[in-house]
Amino acid sequence: MAENKQKNAPRYAEKKKNRAKGADIAYVAAAAVIFAAVSGAMLFLPRSRESVLEQRELAEFPEYSREALMDGSYTAGISHYFSDTVPMRDRLMEMASAIQEFTGFRSDNIKLHNVTLGENSAEVPDETAAVTGISVISDGAVVEDTIPESAEETEIPAVTAAPDPAVTQETAEAQSDDAVNLTNNGIAVVGTRAIMLYGGSFSVGDDYAAEVEKYKNALGEDVNVYCMVIPTSGEFYCPESISAYNNSQYDNINNIYSHFTDVIPVDAYSALKDHTSEYIYLRTDHHWSSLGAYYAAGKFAEAAGVPFLDISEYDKKTVSGYVGTMYSYTQDITIKNNPEDFFYYVPKNVELDTTYYNYKLGEGNEIIGMDDPIRSTFYIDFSNSKSMLYCTFMGGDAKITHVNTSTKNGRRLAIFKDSYGNALPQFLFGSFEDIYVIDMRYFTYNAVDYLNEHGVTDVLFANNAFHATTRSTVTYYEKLLTQGRQPTVPETSETSSSAAPEETPEITSSAKTAVPEEKPETSSSAETAAPETENAG
Amino acid sequence: MIFADLLFLYVFLPALIICYVLAGAADKGICAVTKDKGFFGSINPVKNMVLIVFSLVFYAWGEPFYIRLMLISIGVNYLFGLLITLRKKPSKAFFVLGIIFNIAMIGTFKYGRFISENLNAIGIPVPVPEAVSPVGISFYTFQSISYLADVYKGDVKAQKNPLRVLLYISMFPQLIAGPIVRYETIAEDICSRRITVEDVSEGAFRFFIGLGKKVILANQLSIISEQLLDGEMSGLSVGGAWLGIIAFTFQIYFDFSGYSDMAIGMGRCLGFRFNENFNYPYISRSITEFWRRWHISLSSFFRDYVYIPMGGNRRHQPLNIMTVWLLTGLWHGASWNFVIWGVYFGIIIMIEKYTLLKIENKIPKVFLHIYSLFLIIFGWAIFYFEDLGKLGEFIKIMFGVSGDPAGAVIAKHTFTANLYLLIAAAVCSVPLGALIRKFYGRTVKTSGGAAAMSLLKIAASAGLLWISTLLLVSGTNNPFLYFRF
Repeated sequence: MAENKQKNAPRYAEKKKNRAKGADIAYVAAAAVIFAAVSGAMLFLPRSRESVLEQRELAEFPEYSREALMDGSYTAGISHYFSDTVPMRDRLMEMASAIQEFTGFRSDNIKLHNVTLGENSAEVPDETAAVTGISVISDGAVVEDTIPESAEETEIPAVTAAPDPAVTQETAEAQSDDAVNLTNNGIAVVGTRAIMLYGGSFSVGDDYAAEVEKYKNALGEDVNVYCMVIPTSGEFYCPESISAYNNSQYDNINNIYSHFTDVIPVDAYSALKDHTSEYIYLRTDHHWSSLGAYYAAGKFAEAAGVPFLDISEYDKKTVSGYVGTMYSYTQDITIKNNPEDFFYYVPKNVELDTTYYNYKLGEGNEIIGMDDPIRSTFYIDFSNSKSMLYCTFMGGDAKITHVNTSTKNGRRLAIFKDSYGNALPQFLFGSFEDIYVIDMRYFTYNAVDYLNEHGVTDVLFANNAFHATTRSTVTYYEKLLTQGRQPTVPETSETSSSAAPEETPEITSSAKTAVPEEKPETSSSAETAAPETENAG
Repeated sequence: MIFADLLFLYVFLPALIICYVLAGAADKGICAVTKDKGFFGSINPVKNMVLIVFSLVFYAWGEPFYIRLMLISIGVNYLFGLLITLRKKPSKAFFVLGIIFNIAMIGTFKYGRFISENLNAIGIPVPVPEAVSPVGISFYTFQSISYLADVYKGDVKAQKNPLRVLLYISMFPQLIAGPIVRYETIAEDICSRRITVEDVSEGAFRFFIGLGKKVILANQLSIISEQLLDGEMSGLSVGGAWLGIIAFTFQIYFDFSGYSDMAIGMGRCLGFRFNENFNYPYISRSITEFWRRWHISLSSFFRDYVYIPMGGNRRHQPLNIMTVWLLTGLWHGASWNFVIWGVYFGIIIMIEKYTLLKIENKIPKVFLHIYSLFLIIFGWAIFYFEDLGKLGEFIKIMFGVSGDPAGAVIAKHTFTANLYLLIAAAVCSVPLGALIRKFYGRTVKTSGGAAAMSLLKIAASAGLLWISTLLLVSGTNNPFLYFRF
């Protein structure tokens, strides 16, 4: 036996060696094929140009210069370009989100994203703050100069004035402050709802209240000034267990309201609180829903003493399959897998005439000019780019919107707002004759001059609680109040000849289109917002 | 460039592989013509040229300016190598000059700012330079020192061909994060290496394992440690502090050893055999053992080039030990916490020498493991916080002196959300590979078993590559949210 074994040993060894070699060859061949296949896909499939998911255009191939090469930014740019524009990017991201779900499980059905505690801490990751050069994704369906049948384009003389360097600088500061310092404690995904945890504090709220009060003082007795600080979903849907990370919006709103003497506070809070069992907030997006805006608008109408249309006076329009910003930020697959309905309301018996004064934004999202006014519809069709459905209202933020309604009661409303305010006007068309919607981040005129010129009777400040306690909001409003005070001689541009129809507001004056090189911090969804008629009632 | 990067994986590597295979064919042709003599005493001159070019591109990609510093360093060290062996008896003067050159270089470019800041702090006004710390300077300087020392000791001959010194120092797999390869390890491979299919098979598999360790484990673990350790200390609970530092303990191991695996794997595919750099450090039963298993190429460097020349255990051993550990700490970074970290281990190792190591066999193993892991984890806390004030706060929280109970809920959710990841990390920290190899060794006797193992290896490699790629893509997520609020 032993002898036999000895004899066979070399043959065994030989055989084993050959088998091992065969296995090695098989492995190397397979690994080479796999690696070549993935490399081929990475190299030769068409590169992604934009990310619908992240709502941004992807990196460009860097421009060569000797300096860029020597300081390393050129090669870093190429690396960044290659990984940013990877083929099928959004799909791969989604697969990665699904994989990352396997790192553990959700206790109490909660998952925290970047949740930290700190005093009014700013927990926006650096890379977010560093984003520049973002513009919006065009879904191709809509182009700005498309003229819908129902509306005629009108041109209004553009006026130019020298940018005010002080304003420019201030805005730049406000912007960086805002990017890093939004009063945000992170995001919690609770069940299928994403909520932003609130980190606001009284001190900024104090200043916000004082700033709004300044507007009232500047506008005088004849103009009513209202302030509606809108709570966000975290206030009502945050589980007790993580409430330590979620400051009270109620307390902060009350603090702001307690400072008002002449400004009329609008109690949107209790209006929303009474309906928390209804669909008043979006789950996959950081905004509220139209229904939430309806209840808040009712409170406002009450405060302003204007008629208010019941919700039965509207046609409800619904687009399903909406997955909003909370997925792109958290990459939480639960959000992606639980889309919701986006819905909005179109009044049945009110005629609307909507004019947009769109700002042109540069690569760094700074205002670089203003387009000719466009008459279009208040509701823009975004059913083809569903992640941006909230832009249904006016197409986004970077613009001034004027809606002239068939409600003839002599009341003219201006709304100063962040994107939460975009959902309000739909419920106020039966309440005001004219509505001007102004985004606090995109407005190049002097606020008081503008309001006086347009004969505005009522001014509503509509900010969500985050913005009402964010330093840059105060800075923006201060800038609007002070900019363009010294009128300069208006220089009409060459295109000034065509006559403006009567309904369009007259923008004649003085130093209005100062075009500071500011970098407002909102995405310019407005840019591609197409005037595609949804229903202009 | 770094390994865990899409451009490296899918542009640099494929280009290198294609060029290297073509170069291999060219070398074969040369060998056929020259009857296996090759050119300049090398049977793979074309492959060497390809490797040099790719290595320099690799380095210049990340350090386009300071590549000149590396080239100067290599040139000077090449000359010193020749000067040391100019005569029969190695020249001590040139050796010392060479060492001074290397220390001066790393002292200027890595520690210049640290040194001058501290001089200013004690009242000696010197200008404070910009912190530059060119990528990989700690590694290539140490390789140069080992080269000069080995030449001086007569262990290796000085290399006359400057390109081979260039290849030795700048070879991209080990260039920027080790292992610290000694010249004698690869001297022969540089001139005459033959690559077998086994080399490529083992090397490629090793590479995929390393990639997975880095991207799947280390990068994901870093999310935990960053969340818990980078925020305000005021919101951290005791559990959160431990979870964070344990996550970092795993993270740094998988990051560093994954990188070493990729380096060793690629080296093997290219025909070089580097020494192992990690040997499951977290299964150690003492700190002394830990440092025999952690970053082996560094600790053996200090052993062979500092500790033993200073007298080892024959003369003033405590002094030698403390010097080595002071340097080890400093090597990891120009900051006081690294100095403390090094001294911390120096003291523990010295104490172990006279106590624990003498009675090791009488203590139940489980206590030894707990003891070692505790000191290792505590060590990583010192390593993590460059701000000593923050470190103090953190240690207080770790031991329950302070800490915010409200933070416990974050720790809890972070823990459950990453529980499987942490378990995977723990499992991968023990010699699973050895167990599998044991199994593999047994089952390979049947051809069915061999085929199954091959398939498993292929599937594992494909899975690791694919998941790593997805996670690298996801790492570029840069949503445009806050700007739209």
